[in-house]
Amino acid sequence: MSGHRVAAITRRLMQGFRRDRRTLALLFVAPIIILGLLGYLLRGSASAPAVGIANQDSGPLGAIVTNSLDQSSLIHTSTIAASDGDAKLKDGTLVAYIVFPTDFTAQVQSGNVAPQVHLEGSQPGEDSPVVQALQQAMIGLSSQVAGRSVHFQPQVIRLYGSSSYDTLDYFGAAFIGLVVFFLVFVITIVSFLNERSQGTLERLMASPLRRGEIVLGYMIGFTVLALVQAAEVLVFSLAILKVQNQGNVALIFGMEALMAIAAVNLGIFLSMFARSEFQAVQFIPLVIVPQMLLSGIIFPVTTEPKVLQYLSDVLPLTYAVDGMRDIMVKGADLTWPALQLDAGVVAGFCVLLIVAGTATLRRRIA
Amino acid sequence: MSDSYAVDVDRVTRRFGAFTALDGVTLQVRRGEIYGLLGPNGAGKTTLIRLIVGLLEAQSGTVTVLGRRMPDVGVLRKVGYMTQQAALYPAISVEENVRFFADINGAEDGVREVLELVQLYERRGSVVATLSGGMRQRCSLACALVHRPELLLLDEPTVGVDPQLRVQFWEDFRRMAAAGTTIVVSSHVMDEAERCQRLGLIQFGRLLAEGTPSEIRAQAGKQNLEDAFLELAGAVAR
Repeated sequence: MSGHRVAAITRRLMQGFRRDRRTLALLFVAPIIILGLLGYLLRGSASAPAVGIANQDSGPLGAIVTNSLDQSSLIHTSTIAASDGDAKLKDGTLVAYIVFPTDFTAQVQSGNVAPQVHLEGSQPGEDSPVVQALQQAMIGLSSQVAGRSVHFQPQVIRLYGSSSYDTLDYFGAAFIGLVVFFLVFVITIVSFLNERSQGTLERLMASPLRRGEIVLGYMIGFTVLALVQAAEVLVFSLAILKVQNQGNVALIFGMEALMAIAAVNLGIFLSMFARSEFQAVQFIPLVIVPQMLLSGIIFPVTTEPKVLQYLSDVLPLTYAVDGMRDIMVKGADLTWPALQLDAGVVAGFCVLLIVAGTATLRRRIA
Repeated sequence: MSDSYAVDVDRVTRRFGAFTALDGVTLQVRRGEIYGLLGPNGAGKTTLIRLIVGLLEAQSGTVTVLGRRMPDVGVLRKVGYMTQQAALYPAISVEENVRFFADINGAEDGVREVLELVQLYERRGSVVATLSGGMRQRCSLACALVHRPELLLLDEPTVGVDPQLRVQFWEDFRRMAAAGTTIVVSSHVMDEAERCQRLGLIQFGRLLAEGTPSEIRAQAGKQNLEDAFLELAGAVAR
């Protein structure tokens, strides 16, 4: 073991980094962006989910609990009619609504209270503040009903999903799409860079090929691969992992295909901005991690701090994930405006990237 | 008339940032001749070839190829371009590479003939990554030839090729030129320069001299091209 030789290797690495400014910048900027985002997401003033309250109690207690819920910082309440509740869950204006039945006060006297909690149910992350806020309000209530122990047994009714769903059932839908998006993106960006670094792109540019033909040829080739992968992921998720699915399998596959096409074109487009595979690999955390944090896969978009919600709204993966959940958890079909929007945005993003990729292709051939 | 020339480069200047790669170069390549671009490494040969094929645009001056002002994608069907490094797809076979370049250039046949020409027909099934440097160079040449271009641009085609095959290459070039193909070949090997019909000597992005090998020797008053080149280059430096 020669210290001199080891030092030579270390020095050579440092010399390389000193000249590769982009790598250096990414090395120090990327963790700040990613951790900053995560910190803001978790510690920033989270947006309270919108919860409707329908107080039908003939006695005074419903009003007391409602008042207590109004004060809660966990949820944002509004008064609704119980009959409007489901419609508001469906169109997304409410995450949940709580109904205090006519005999609510009487229930307290008997020691067993059962308010109805109606949850939209497609994202567990949205539900927990609702149940938590109600629990806190009930604790406040029991302290006001002196000398009685009150059992709190909310009656939970889910519009989508069910209590038999586990974590994988909820997250599976989002991850099926994400796995395809991520892997296809990595393969495309690296192999398009190969085309550049092995000099064949220069040859292609010196041939009668048009730029659009190159981008389209690449897109079709990788999309074929991606679709086979998407089919495999889907079969594995549904047949082996037994992720619950309420929707049409062909629709899931269609959404996966759209995500794959978006990933291919994102890879081609971003490869224009990397000079080596080394630099390309660094795009992965910058492209993938913020989208993972902000697209509603783990943290529901509605509970993000307001500023981050605007960011989420312009990320294509947000719509893709939402679309996958619409299909798999809610059983949406193409007649649902929500799914039309999701599929439309992802498709629009594909078109945008194809145009951008074609327009930037000529730059930096060597 | 520029149409009588296969390549007409007129007062072309190309800069990269503060560096001037080509500085007002004017030269013409006649149809059916072998024209050698001669000069040391970094003289501007590759930049000039990239301008001719339309990969780069001139900041001033014009490049006309087969009667079309470059860059012009349409004319590239009639142009074959062999890059300095053997630019091939390493994961697919020799034949698959050549067929690919035939397809994108609109050639329907000729794969077998061109593989026989570069003596790779026996190795047509070999994956390119497993080939030696010289074989890759031959495969690369085949890819540039397969669509029978009217103009062939070769950027240092014989680097890494053994002497026997080098002789073979030049015989092929001469035969193609005799059949009407125009060939522009860059080199810094003087013995190859002797085989060209006309030469352009480039240094520091300027055309130092142009003419047949014997004209250039006469202009410099030297017996061989190497001395002539050093003399002419030295005259510029002085």
